[in-house]
Amino acid sequence: MISLAGRDIMHSLGKFVFTGMGLGLLIGVTLSMAGIYRGLVDDGKVLLDNSGADLWVVQQDTVGPYAESSSIFDDAWRGILSMPGVARAANVTYFTMQVRQGERDVRAMVTGIASSEPGTPGWPPYLVSGRQITRGHYEAVADIATGFKLGDRIQIRRNHYTVVGLTRRMVSSGGDPMVFIPLKDAQEAQFLKDNDAIRQQRHRTATNPAFNRPQVPDLLAAVTASQSTNPYVNAVLVQIKAGDDADEVAASIRRWKRLTVYTRSQMETIIIGKLIATSAKQIGMFLVILSIVSAAIVAFIIYTLTMGKIREIAVLKLIGTKNRTIVGLIMQQSIALGVLGFVVGKITATLVMAPIFPKYVLLQPLDSVIGFGVVVVICMISSIVAIRAAMKVDPAEAIGG
Amino acid sequence: MTGKGIRIEGLKKRYGSGDTAVDALMGVDMQVAPGEVVGLVGPSGSGKTTLLKCLGAVIEPTAGRMILGDEIIYDNGWKVSDLRALRRDKIGFIFQAPYLIPFLDVTDNVALLPMLAGRPNAEARSRAIELFKSLDVEHRARAMPSQLSGGEQQRVAIARGLVNRPPVILADEPTAPLDSERALAVIRILNTMAQKFETAIIVVTHDEKIIPTFKRIYHIRDGVTYEEAGEGRAIE
Amino acid sequence: MLAVLVPLIALFMYVSLRSGPLAPVSVTVTKVTNQPITPALFGIGTVEARYTYKIGPTFAGRIKSLDVEVGGLVKSGQVLGEMDPVDLDERIHAQEAAVKRAEAQLSEAQTSQTFAQTQARRYQELLAARSTSEEILITKKHEQQVAEAKMNVAREESTRVRAELAALKEQRKSLSLIAPADGLVAARNADPGTTIVAGQAVVELIDPKSLWVNTRFDQLHAHGLAAKLPAKIVLRSRAVEVQAGRVLRVEPIADAVTEETLAKVAFDRLPDPLPSVGELAEVTLALPALPAGPVIPNAAIQRMHGQVGVWQVVDGDLHFTPVILGAADLDGHVQVRDGLKVDDQIVVYSARILSTRSRIHVVDHLQGAKS
Repeated sequence: MISLAGRDIMHSLGKFVFTGMGLGLLIGVTLSMAGIYRGLVDDGKVLLDNSGADLWVVQQDTVGPYAESSSIFDDAWRGILSMPGVARAANVTYFTMQVRQGERDVRAMVTGIASSEPGTPGWPPYLVSGRQITRGHYEAVADIATGFKLGDRIQIRRNHYTVVGLTRRMVSSGGDPMVFIPLKDAQEAQFLKDNDAIRQQRHRTATNPAFNRPQVPDLLAAVTASQSTNPYVNAVLVQIKAGDDADEVAASIRRWKRLTVYTRSQMETIIIGKLIATSAKQIGMFLVILSIVSAAIVAFIIYTLTMGKIREIAVLKLIGTKNRTIVGLIMQQSIALGVLGFVVGKITATLVMAPIFPKYVLLQPLDSVIGFGVVVVICMISSIVAIRAAMKVDPAEAIGG
Repeated sequence: MTGKGIRIEGLKKRYGSGDTAVDALMGVDMQVAPGEVVGLVGPSGSGKTTLLKCLGAVIEPTAGRMILGDEIIYDNGWKVSDLRALRRDKIGFIFQAPYLIPFLDVTDNVALLPMLAGRPNAEARSRAIELFKSLDVEHRARAMPSQLSGGEQQRVAIARGLVNRPPVILADEPTAPLDSERALAVIRILNTMAQKFETAIIVVTHDEKIIPTFKRIYHIRDGVTYEEAGEGRAIE
Repeated sequence: MLAVLVPLIALFMYVSLRSGPLAPVSVTVTKVTNQPITPALFGIGTVEARYTYKIGPTFAGRIKSLDVEVGGLVKSGQVLGEMDPVDLDERIHAQEAAVKRAEAQLSEAQTSQTFAQTQARRYQELLAARSTSEEILITKKHEQQVAEAKMNVAREESTRVRAELAALKEQRKSLSLIAPADGLVAARNADPGTTIVAGQAVVELIDPKSLWVNTRFDQLHAHGLAAKLPAKIVLRSRAVEVQAGRVLRVEPIADAVTEETLAKVAFDRLPDPLPSVGELAEVTLALPALPAGPVIPNAAIQRMHGQVGVWQVVDGDLHFTPVILGAADLDGHVQVRDGLKVDDQIVVYSARILSTRSRIHVVDHLQGAKS
């Protein structure tokens, strides 16, 4: 027995391949949508993983430091370090702002990391090039998504930094690439305003008679100096001792330090539940719509292909072809179209969509397998409409009236 | 009659019911012996298409008997369960138009029937090619139907009708689009094949060019057949 | 048909296996090298003057004149300006008059005393000649004592008003603002006519030869900070020039809030033109070189389960090797005191976080990372 479906495809191969590729682009976009959703969730997870922390200590009653702004004193870490179960504690600041390099500026999350050594919470856990920061000021490690290269001079607020190392996949939950700079520089950048604002503030202080007393000549200088320092950080990242329970350590910090503490799983819930919830819903909706559209298009294509063969189907029935064989012809073509579409779609999603899309697109093998299954099922269901039409064909029509 | 051949007794077919009922066949009697090629002639609306459809087990008659060889296939109800197998194995069709499957080459178009009957592909194809030799289209064996001329396609269609060596072949206006030379050639082939394979062939036609060649002709008028001896003119 | 299918399927297999989570992780490796390390310390500081003199009056008053401008050089003892004496001159006059009056009173008292003394002596002689009574002699002696006392009063009074005059004259002298040492006028805080209070600085002087950089070093990276270390100073306004210098002293009191140790770094040769006081500078100190030992790049350092270590490649397999690190230099080289030997292969850069289950694929450099 020959394969009728195979012969029919070979006979109109160009049309079939063309249709398959068109369908493949649609499937590719659908797969990419799923990948974008996974990428969103992964952005959040990667942010938590890369910080190297087991606990996040933030301002009381906030859901910071990523979902809400949080400020705690920069000496709070000393008290936290002395709590039982805490192995390491380090300050960290996060501030999303424009980083300038030459003529262009890039939106990045500037992360202030505590002066220490590699392996400290908050430090980039792995590099793709260069080295980690060694000087206490004016050095930066940037993510390659910023487009910066080793040796570039970048400007953050009024200071210039030399890029000494590059990382990959260090992004904020919103997908902005991270730039790591020493904590003290970051505190200044987060706080310090432009020169005009500083001058105005000095002027205001100087005209305030409470601060500008001639009998106390150094008072004004001291007040102005205190206004230009920033003793706050956004969070303290904590690593707990091996074998200790994160929840217990978190509970004791909450109780004795009266700060809000989140464990890894709580932070994940916050990020996925609060930060990306809206985007996730939007993408989920698109995914459903695209799947429905794809199903409709496959059904339409298969129906049209079948209708074009209606006379042949009548003849086949007349000369004694079993219904089973005719159903097989239609369904095999439908599935072949689906498989071709899926292969083209997967290739398009991986090689074209993922690299050019501005956000991270994570195509997981499981999604591809599920997608393949869904495509095959959709093809089979869509071909039912065509099969019903084929079954209704009366072989007697082949014999002209 | 024993062995092959076809015999019909009192076949009736009524379409619809009640006031709008149409009696297409009102008691048709026919018999064709193996090796015989008979003509079935009648004006349009006389019921010949209906009769052909009943003979081909494509529609169900309302009453009567149909006997194919030794087997009663219809006796006021189908006596055979798988009509499609019946059509595949016992009845060959030759249509007005070739109706070849465009996406199979001509060999596979013909070999499809034995393959559907379960014969291995190589055997099916060799049978087809053998028939092509007899029908003088062997040189076109690997071509696609669209590449053949009208006459060549018709010959392939005839081969398809014959390939399963059915006991009965129904030909519906097989010469309508052909000129007289080609038409007579078709009839010649049919006669040859009929004798060679002991097939009973019924040719529905109103083509004046070939009617004289039949030895026996059934006229059908108003749903009833009348037998008539034909001229039986020889074909050069 | 095959011409289309085969490349398509090949591409599909490639895409499935080589990208996404199934793909092996690209890494670069390097050998542990044997080299000496020159640790260095890095800090930032501001240019300050070692000696700053804030010159002003010792009591409230108005400025009469200022003879110097910012940027001018002055010598020790030079008069920089004058405060307005207001009524001081008049008070001196008054005091001088008081001195004269006291002098006159003293003369008068002296005259009385001389007369009383003479009288007492005469009556003494008279008593000896029995020409007078003892009573009268006693009276005259009493008068002599009274006159002496009055003379003492007048003398002390004269001393007092003279001293007061001297005090007023001293005050008059301090109305002049005098430079206590050679220097450069750094600030002129008020102009003539302005009323200022005692202790307010009118003119600030600095000694330009005493400019140094008040540098802050993060305490975690200040190991080895000591006086006499050679320094390289880069001023913010002259980023391409490197000035040579030396650590003068390490401050005994560190900054507990910012966790920094302070040090004063002096220039070997003062740059010309002089940097402004308050200008920012970056200071790099070179510590003595350490002997050669196993050294790794700091990009290779990871922390797994609380331990510091590196990913080592042994026969193509990935191992996490805990290490004990030593000194580091500013270029990212770190000494290994324990855990690795020279020529061990370690992973430096990776495209993802590694775990013991990761499959690795060694490349020359990672995609996107060319500099």
